[in-house]
Amino acid sequence: MRKEDTVKLISAEGFEFVVDKEAAMVSQTIHNMLTSPGSFAERQHGEVTFPEISTTILEKICQYFYWHLQFASGKETEFPIEPELTLELMMAANYLHT
Amino acid sequence: MDMYIRVKRSKTTYFIRCKPTDKILDIKLKLQELVDQPANNQRLIIPATGEVLEDSRTLADQKVENDAVVALTLRKDDNEFEEVNIVRPNDFYQARDADGANW
Repeated sequence: MRKEDTVKLISAEGFEFVVDKEAAMVSQTIHNMLTSPGSFAERQHGEVTFPEISTTILEKICQYFYWHLQFASGKETEFPIEPELTLELMMAANYLHT
Repeated sequence: MDMYIRVKRSKTTYFIRCKPTDKILDIKLKLQELVDQPANNQRLIIPATGEVLEDSRTLADQKVENDAVVALTLRKDDNEFEEVNIVRPNDFYQARDADGANW
């Protein structure tokens, strides 16, 4: 895999998740950050920091991105969400337009 | 896309797309550029059992499934491989579990 094809998502606690750009762009917010001309520093570095998203939630979101790609390619499985994560996950999903 | 695995080292997680028929060496080649280390300086380990995954065998052979967590260790200067090191976040919901144990 080439570095240019990936993006690094960084959580509030400084944990890093390296994912395919294609997967991250399931999020409209990240899509905009990575494609809008010039304005976002994120675009040059291929890194996006989310100071308000905890590591557990960010990992869940990355898993969702890949689940979304799998589902889009015809694999029908459920996406498991632990009840204690629901609220924070919904807030993050709202922010990320996911 | 068939499956993905989560390769973890320290505070970093690499999401790697792969197929059950991919050999471990294929995974290491995918990681090569991301971790700045050639395949022969990488070792992949199942964290739960400590089992070292073999280059020539496939993911399916070694029961590595979709969404599995695999630990990455790198060769150190003295030619030995480092120990498995995966840092977990100590965030709200694990903290709450810990409290629960004290009640």
